[in-house]
Amino acid sequence: MKSPFLKSGRIAIASSKKINLIEGLKETVLKVIQQTSSLKSCKYADIRLGTNTIKYANAENGKAKGMGEDCLISFGTRVIAGEMGAWGYYGQPIGENESSPRSISKILTSGINRAYTRALANANKKAEFKPFAPSLTAVNLAKIDSCNDTIDAIFDEDPRNVPLKDVLTLCTKTSMDMRGASTDVQYTHIDIHTGINRELFCSTEGACIDQSYALTQGMVAVVAQKAGGIPEVCYDYMGGLRGWEVLKGKNIYKQPLAAFALLRTRETIELTEAEFLSATDEPVVVVTNPHFNALLVHEIVGHPTEADRALKLETAYAGRSWLFRNFNDNELGKQIASPLLTAYSDPSIDGYGHYRYDAEGTPGRRVNLIENGVLKGFMNGRECAAILSHPPNGSMRATEPHYVPIVRMTNTVFANGDRDPAEILGEVREGYYIVNHRIPSISESRENFRISAQKVYKIENGHIAKLYRGGGITADSKDFLMNIDAVGNDFQVFPIPNCGKGQPMQVMRVGNGGPTLRSKARLTGRQKP
Amino acid sequence: MINTETLKTCARNGIEFVKKQKDVIDAEIFASWNEHITVRLNYTSDIPCNGVHEPKSTQFSGIGLLAVFKAGKETKVGFGSSSNNITPKGIAEAFQKARKNKLHDPDFKSLPMPIGKPVLENYHDPAVMEIADETMIDLGWRALKGALTEFRQKNFNNSIIVGGDITILKERMAICSTKGIDDFDESTILTANITSMIEKEKVKGSGWNANTHLSNFNPEEAGRESAESAIKTIDGERIPSGTYDVIFGRQPVTDLFTNIVIPALSLSSINSSDTPFLGKLGQKIASELLTVYDDGTINGAVGSKRISCEGIPTGRTNLIHNGFLVGFLANYYLSKKFENSISSFIPRNGFRFEKGGRNHNIQPKICPTNIAIEGKEEVTSQSLLSKINNGIYIGRIWYTYPINGLAAGDFTSTIIADSYVIKEGKIVKPLKPNTVRINNNITDILNNIIAVSKDKKQTIVWGGEGVVMAPEIAVHSIRLDNISGFIA
Repeated sequence: MKSPFLKSGRIAIASSKKINLIEGLKETVLKVIQQTSSLKSCKYADIRLGTNTIKYANAENGKAKGMGEDCLISFGTRVIAGEMGAWGYYGQPIGENESSPRSISKILTSGINRAYTRALANANKKAEFKPFAPSLTAVNLAKIDSCNDTIDAIFDEDPRNVPLKDVLTLCTKTSMDMRGASTDVQYTHIDIHTGINRELFCSTEGACIDQSYALTQGMVAVVAQKAGGIPEVCYDYMGGLRGWEVLKGKNIYKQPLAAFALLRTRETIELTEAEFLSATDEPVVVVTNPHFNALLVHEIVGHPTEADRALKLETAYAGRSWLFRNFNDNELGKQIASPLLTAYSDPSIDGYGHYRYDAEGTPGRRVNLIENGVLKGFMNGRECAAILSHPPNGSMRATEPHYVPIVRMTNTVFANGDRDPAEILGEVREGYYIVNHRIPSISESRENFRISAQKVYKIENGHIAKLYRGGGITADSKDFLMNIDAVGNDFQVFPIPNCGKGQPMQVMRVGNGGPTLRSKARLTGRQKP
Repeated sequence: MINTETLKTCARNGIEFVKKQKDVIDAEIFASWNEHITVRLNYTSDIPCNGVHEPKSTQFSGIGLLAVFKAGKETKVGFGSSSNNITPKGIAEAFQKARKNKLHDPDFKSLPMPIGKPVLENYHDPAVMEIADETMIDLGWRALKGALTEFRQKNFNNSIIVGGDITILKERMAICSTKGIDDFDESTILTANITSMIEKEKVKGSGWNANTHLSNFNPEEAGRESAESAIKTIDGERIPSGTYDVIFGRQPVTDLFTNIVIPALSLSSINSSDTPFLGKLGQKIASELLTVYDDGTINGAVGSKRISCEGIPTGRTNLIHNGFLVGFLANYYLSKKFENSISSFIPRNGFRFEKGGRNHNIQPKICPTNIAIEGKEEVTSQSLLSKINNGIYIGRIWYTYPINGLAAGDFTSTIIADSYVIKEGKIVKPLKPNTVRINNNITDILNNIIAVSKDKKQTIVWGGEGVVMAPEIAVHSIRLDNISGFIA
């Protein structure tokens, strides 16, 4: 059988016992899943068994703080059982000492039985409650073709071959160089991890999917402060589903981590001398750059087009969606944005949200969310797809196998336009250029947002003028989307490593981005204490 | 399930093993077992649903080993862990990783030394440790029943949403070190956080319940309370943008303290120079009415622990006293780092909370336990209304973030439920949910406190690590913006 770690291309990959563990366990997992046929009321079951081999290091102010390498193994299982089909789940990490086929078989069987017991108990309760609550319904999954496939991890430089010492050295040296950039730099921190994830998905429907991907990420934090001033703080990430080459320059910024970190440091120092932006009561013309739009599309398009939010499953936590009130009253097919704007979610393109199959074994595909301003669809999983009578589009993921998959963004973006960003900016007589995202705060159904920017520039007569700090924009989402009057041709997808959703909260990596946009929004500024 | 004796034995035997290893100066072994159960609700009267959507759990156990090695004239520290292997082999695996991962950290001074004696004993509930799957699923259905019964009794049958969860945490840990620490802890937590809506009325209500013991846990009441609150807020009105005197209810107080105030009162924020309280120790940072402390020894409080994950007994750490900044939350590492440059803080808050338990895979960070908020002279909830006279009661906020970084103190969030307009000292009308954004600075809020309520309730917010013994707090001059005009 072909090894999933013989990446096409330049480097032959050394064998790794821990990662290739999955190879030797496929039969075991398939056998365990087949044995569920002996569970009387089991209607469906799946297992996800995964390994995450990782090297990591971090440093602050030029001082080493930690490093390590590990292999984390875990599994999760979902079962639908009972007359009134209900879910039962179970998941746990697995020790390296338990990774023999015999031990794994025992652990997975025990997990399946636990999930089955829960599903049965839950189904019985559901049946008991049905007269009291008529909308209770047996779980129904939209049909998919069961796939058997193996997906290779892609990388030029195998994370497993990078000496741990090199990872640490990059952290210490970079954080030291940042610290040395100015006496105003108060704190620097670099955190790096690089590794390979592999996950096996098997279901009672006959699916057997073995997917691997590499992940390399560098996090940069810098705090700078003028004497007696307010500290200026910057956090940013570079990363990709690739090997060590990501931190050498094969990334969205096309520069090595060290250069990226110094750039962010210099920008932060520059901001300590800038004036704080003042908020406006009325909307002004704003041009938002691709980095800022990564967070914007994430918050005001990505989240409200997740089907589980639309169907109210996140009401108590991450919120609902203003795009779907109910089956008879929703925005599907309606104009919710400027005709210039298209947005989509696509796991097939390069980015943090890339994959071939989701955590239910559904092939991931492009979902057109907004086409020429009209709402077209939602990202979904099989259960939500069945409820909405939409085709399943493979948008279910869990951060680790022992967590339950939920609907997540993939690479969710504003589509590219045809305008030169310099022209878009050059046409503005008076406005503001909003550069690079910082922190978001969004209304419960995503109908209003406030997002801060790393930098805001005044635009005067088509030229970038004064720099401000502590600024950002706020608007009702629909107003902002409808007011877009220019879409640039400088499309980019950025890594967003920390999207929180679910209970317990799962922090997921997604890709977000788009081109330069021009619209209207109120400026936000510093709240003077 | 792994019992505490096994964890203790593993940690003790592990220390004996590590002591014999070449070049080891000191070592600390942390062994834990945790189970995190979530019974998630999703009831929608007009959309096919499951009621109890997800009965699920994840459990994990393992060893975390921190060792100090001799390396020429300097020392090196290394951390290693082993999962699901509370055995001598697990110790050996963790030790090998620690040796491989060792590095010189000039800020590392020492492993934690023993400090004092624990206050709490046998405060966990064995019934929770042994809870059956059927029982935990039943807790979810009971919460749903509480909400639906309330809606039925008030004749609301359509456009109903009931969401939220029952969460059960079971934690066991033992720690042993060459510095003389040899202790253990066992804790159990049950929480119900329920949100109910009548969506066509655009109203939402919250209800919650938290306890350490199953017999005192009341998920039905959390469900009922959430439905009752939703019903009470029908016919809410918008308010114009402006500056208002407000009362922050218990959930908003918890949200503000969990996401803004407490992170800013942690030595980790001092370490990263990212707090508005940098250089302000001993200075007045809040109204003299306000006192805040962390106390992990409060009997029956769900944030209580016997010892920290560094083996230090929990206790009271004063943070703000009568408006003055008097302390920071600390773990051992940062307390030692800053003892000469700032002050000596007792390191009671070194915890390894992650992924729903005391996680052997990570080193201790700084986490709150129970955050107590007190007023100099506390008043009844009714008196709070009188003190405000005209303003807004804010019952639930959402998505609270330090929008310009923690150091700047600016924050924003939206008001999503349980809120009212106050006129002449009385609640006169509900506030329409999702129509107001708060834009303010946390230092303003702390300085503009008018009064603090007597009654407190244990409150936890989504994603929060600590528990707030939350009062209601009245505050002057809060900027509120009318938003989302396109939604009727």
